[in-house]
Amino acid sequence: MLDEIDFEILRHRLDSINEDAAAILANQSGSQLAAEARDLNSVIMAPDGAVVCCGRYVLAQVVSMHLVVRDILDRYRDNPGFGPDDQFLTNDPYVGTLHQPDVVVVAPIFVGDLLVGWSGSTTHQPDVGGPNPGGITYDARSIHDEALPIPPIRLVERGVLRADLEREYLSRSRTAELNRLDLLGQIAANASVVEQVRAICAEYGTERVTETFDRLLDRAEAMFRDRLSRLADGTFRHVAYVEYRPHGLPEGEPEQVYTVRLAMTKTGDQLVLDFAGSDPQAPGTINATYPALANFAVGAVLIHLCGGLLWAPGGIWRAVEIRSRPGTVVHARWPAGVAMSTASTCQAIRVCVNACAARLLETDPDLARHVMASCQGAGGGGGTIHGTLPDGRAFATMTLDEITGGGGATWSADGADSSGFTTSPGASCVDVEVNETYLPILYERRAELADTGGPGTRRGGVGSLAQWRPHGTDRIEAMSFGQGLQHPVATGVAGGEYGGQSVLAVLPGAHAEVATEQPMPVRTYPVAGDQVHLAVSQGGGGLGDPLDRDPAEVLADVVTGYVSAGGALRDYGVVIVDGTVDGTVDGSLDGSLDSAVDGPGTEAAREARRTERIGRAPRPPQPERRGRPVAATLDLVERRTCCARCGTDLCGAGDDPYEVLVVGERAMPDRSPFGVRYRGHERFVMRHFWCPGCAAQVDVQLARTGDPVVRSFELDVR
Amino acid sequence: MPVRWRKPGRLVDPLDIAGVPERIDRDGEVVVPLDEDAALAAIDRLAARQVEAVAIGLLWSCVRPDHELRLAELVTERLPDVPVSVSSRVAPVVGEYERFATTVIDASIARAVASYLGRLDAELTALGFTGRLLVLRTGGGAEPVARTRAAPVNSLRSGPVAGLTAAASIGAALGHERIIATDVGGTSFDVGLVVDGEAQRSGRPLVDRHPLAVPAIEVVSIGTGGGSIAWYDGDLGALRVGPRSAGAAPGPACYGRGGTSPTLTDAAAVLGYVDRLGGDVRLDVAAARAAVGQLCGPLRRTVEQVAEGIVRVATDQLKDLIRRTTIQRGHDPSAFALFAFGGAGPQYAAWYAAGLRVRDVVVPPFAAELSAYGAATGDVVLGAERDLPPTPLAEATRLLDEEFATLDEDAAPGAVRRRAVSLRFPRQPRTISLPVDRWDTPAALAALAAEFRARYERVTGQGTAPPELTVEVVAVRSEQVSAMPPGRLPRPPREPARPQRQRVAWFHDHARECPVYRWTHIGVGQVVAGPAFVESDQSTLVVPPGHTARMDERGCFHLTDGEARAR
Repeated sequence: MLDEIDFEILRHRLDSINEDAAAILANQSGSQLAAEARDLNSVIMAPDGAVVCCGRYVLAQVVSMHLVVRDILDRYRDNPGFGPDDQFLTNDPYVGTLHQPDVVVVAPIFVGDLLVGWSGSTTHQPDVGGPNPGGITYDARSIHDEALPIPPIRLVERGVLRADLEREYLSRSRTAELNRLDLLGQIAANASVVEQVRAICAEYGTERVTETFDRLLDRAEAMFRDRLSRLADGTFRHVAYVEYRPHGLPEGEPEQVYTVRLAMTKTGDQLVLDFAGSDPQAPGTINATYPALANFAVGAVLIHLCGGLLWAPGGIWRAVEIRSRPGTVVHARWPAGVAMSTASTCQAIRVCVNACAARLLETDPDLARHVMASCQGAGGGGGTIHGTLPDGRAFATMTLDEITGGGGATWSADGADSSGFTTSPGASCVDVEVNETYLPILYERRAELADTGGPGTRRGGVGSLAQWRPHGTDRIEAMSFGQGLQHPVATGVAGGEYGGQSVLAVLPGAHAEVATEQPMPVRTYPVAGDQVHLAVSQGGGGLGDPLDRDPAEVLADVVTGYVSAGGALRDYGVVIVDGTVDGTVDGSLDGSLDSAVDGPGTEAAREARRTERIGRAPRPPQPERRGRPVAATLDLVERRTCCARCGTDLCGAGDDPYEVLVVGERAMPDRSPFGVRYRGHERFVMRHFWCPGCAAQVDVQLARTGDPVVRSFELDVR
Repeated sequence: MPVRWRKPGRLVDPLDIAGVPERIDRDGEVVVPLDEDAALAAIDRLAARQVEAVAIGLLWSCVRPDHELRLAELVTERLPDVPVSVSSRVAPVVGEYERFATTVIDASIARAVASYLGRLDAELTALGFTGRLLVLRTGGGAEPVARTRAAPVNSLRSGPVAGLTAAASIGAALGHERIIATDVGGTSFDVGLVVDGEAQRSGRPLVDRHPLAVPAIEVVSIGTGGGSIAWYDGDLGALRVGPRSAGAAPGPACYGRGGTSPTLTDAAAVLGYVDRLGGDVRLDVAAARAAVGQLCGPLRRTVEQVAEGIVRVATDQLKDLIRRTTIQRGHDPSAFALFAFGGAGPQYAAWYAAGLRVRDVVVPPFAAELSAYGAATGDVVLGAERDLPPTPLAEATRLLDEEFATLDEDAAPGAVRRRAVSLRFPRQPRTISLPVDRWDTPAALAALAAEFRARYERVTGQGTAPPELTVEVVAVRSEQVSAMPPGRLPRPPREPARPQRQRVAWFHDHARECPVYRWTHIGVGQVVAGPAFVESDQSTLVVPPGHTARMDERGCFHLTDGEARAR
């Protein structure tokens, strides 16, 4: 029997063994993605593949790694079989990875003849072959136009790396030397886990170690189910959009819109994520396979619903059911192309889970503190560049400038500015000097950009601008997988606004103005001569009605340059006097020190804004909430749904409050950086929902024009 | 929790940052000349903000410092009394974020450090001190005050480094080339490594989550110490220790300063491992029992069983950190001697050394003050380090000629020059630093590359450094080392000591009557058999049952257990 002390010692040891593995991987890797952006992770799994320990790098890469192990267990038990010190490699998104560049290596952990678990590691490779450098064929007609994935192969047999398979794997890559370092790193990381788990089995007995695995999974499941039980039963919905130009779409047509729809139903201690209503798959590249869906969905559940709980993803899985239809953009059917899924559809999946999780958490006043708005999605700087170095060698890589977007706001703090992805807590952007060392580019500017954070009572983190031009070469080819050009991506919560949208533009010269009408990037585009490549990463989502933000905080943002004086009035109804800010945080803020809030002016502006929202004078707020929350701003009072702020009786408990809320629609580029518009934006609209009594902002929804309003929460009130 | 959801606080207020038009590229070519008018305007603006110090950071100043140095002149002309930190001088490394952060930290402490050292120097002189005042470096050794005033950032976190270098020098005398140095304090546990007689350097040191791009000896820390609070995690069903700590105030319950939470030190007090704080303050054992007793209910155990559990959980955290700092870097602990020091190191060494199969467990004299001993006996090191554009080692002769010509300082009398290069495979974040004295022939460079591959494979495994991978040189370092006279350690007495008293202590769920010795009375060659305690005014060596502690002629204890004897 495993007692509370041995369990704690073994738990700590396993975490430490797994963290070691990730460190071995990071230190040994030669690729910029692994070394600088930490686009890697490691896990320890139970014998059936359930993930027991996961590293805190790119979560979505590993929370569903059991799918790889299950494939091996299901298909390979006899042929080729697996035994002690074997390791398997795969980059097959139809089996268990996110997309082809993510290479997974797993190793069974045997003690004698007994399979006690698995070790797994994954690293994003700079290139794994296929027609285009970097692995993405924008207009792939099917996966046959992309790097063809490798199903699990037994690459290491009894501790020996098979030379033939290693060659076969590396021969397809344009970056064989870097891939080789990563491969050796992954194998070494797994071997270290296998050896150390064996050592603790020898020290504590194999039974105690396997019992520790079981208990970690059981406790994680129990804690998660307990949390779910405390929350209201109901269904929560969110819709997100991906734009993509499939092969053969006529020039004149705007990008096609692919819709991801989630209905998340919580009943008792069980969670169902139903994506079945999502659009049919595209021919190529943006589709998520089921493993990508599972990884991103459960990764988002972990981050947005499991704050403060034990992160043993295998245990969380037991309480989560994912529903999807094969042949949709979230569950691709072979041979659909999938290489760009992580930057497109997977981000939409993550945002949907994030939004629904927030709405679920809002139903419990204690757990609402875990609510976090969405962070940036893949933004303007997301993409690859390729060309020729001055010495004649070819290069192809990402600049990683996109990992500078904003984080989502929480009740306790504004979102982190230029923080990168919440789902990849260890990843960060790269020094200008490091990029310039390896790439023939010269940065002209990198700066946090004002007004890109989603307005809210708590502001979303701001995104950033990166501007570079070719240097030491005449021409660079770029390919973008950035989303959020026609509309924002990072959803706000609890009545907060979306974060700022992406910008991607090629300017004719260094000091050129950014034209407001911009073409969507086609599959590859040149940056040549004096041209300048400009990219803006998205801001994070806001939380709560921006008109409730403390004017002093808005002023502080204006003074430091996170919000412009114009943005203060437009987004927050705060009147700043004597403020002159040029819009970036890079030391050009002269004069803004004299800024101050015009108190009476602000009060009047906010009153006017509320009046404008609902077409009449707003009711005053009530001193305190009177009922049980059904949403951040709505209460259930005696089987009636009421505004939590002013108490206005909206509808019966079971009725749809969206039918009685006041709706205001705004055209899309209303807050885009530089006022930029991309063709196709006119198909979207930002819907704001306000309490008819006091004009409190209840919800903000991005929608396709003409689509029905999404009833984003529907509690079971029996 | 995750590193980036909350960023560390800003090092400098955005309003105190001024941009200046200029640009140099990676080859050191001027792309945009320095705009001096704009620079003067920016300096005026900072002057109006009444800044206390100025840090200057420009892109690629690490390759061509001209613009930064000119800016520094302009700042000094306008603000003659304001300390100026220049990134190309403070941290000449590639990577502007790390370089600028380091420079800003340097600037932010410049005034305080200068004023403190100035006063110290003056008062010492007034007191008739005629020696040379030296300041510890985080990169190891010590340097003259003038150096520290020029780049104070090099003195940050140098205290723990001194403990490591002291362990290295005592270890050298004992014939140990490889050492795991462990320091257990009230609020933290520090681990550093000595490999082949050299304290290991850190790749990417951090201070409060800010990067520090200066040479640094690596000392890895976790927040487990005597003050760590034990608690029952009902959700997990586990006895946990930390991360909360009672710190110095209120401190452990047994200190009698109002603490009520059970800490690691309280567990030790309950078990009878310690009964005094410092020389003469008796610990409040009843308070410790009451604190630890809070956990008896949920764990269904006696207070002593709970206390033993707390010691095991806490010391296993320490052991996990030791494993991580050795195994993770490819070092087999069995090739190392473990040094246990800090106030509480001798108290728990028997637990956290168990099972690591280290060669020797050494508890040095002055275990509680080893860092101070290291500070007093450390070498004087004058050094400089510089990042290079990554260059294939095989083609680096001319580059190294030039770089060392710039870096090498005029020889100080009696000093030894040590040069080193940092090597790596393409783009890897982790480098290996190797001493170098010849780089003039292909053969010399090939030998260096071979040494790198051998070291690399030792860390990452056979076959991981294939010949077709290019070895790059990415940094050079040149140091002048003047050895200090070795510290004189007091010799232990010739005669063996007898126990001063007996005290009851708990081991393996049994109460045992244990002899208590006076540390300074233990004679050379004396073997103290556990269970027993050896006390000084600052710390207690706990020798559990089955263990022995042998005193050598230098005053070091060597702790062994049954496992070690059997080998």
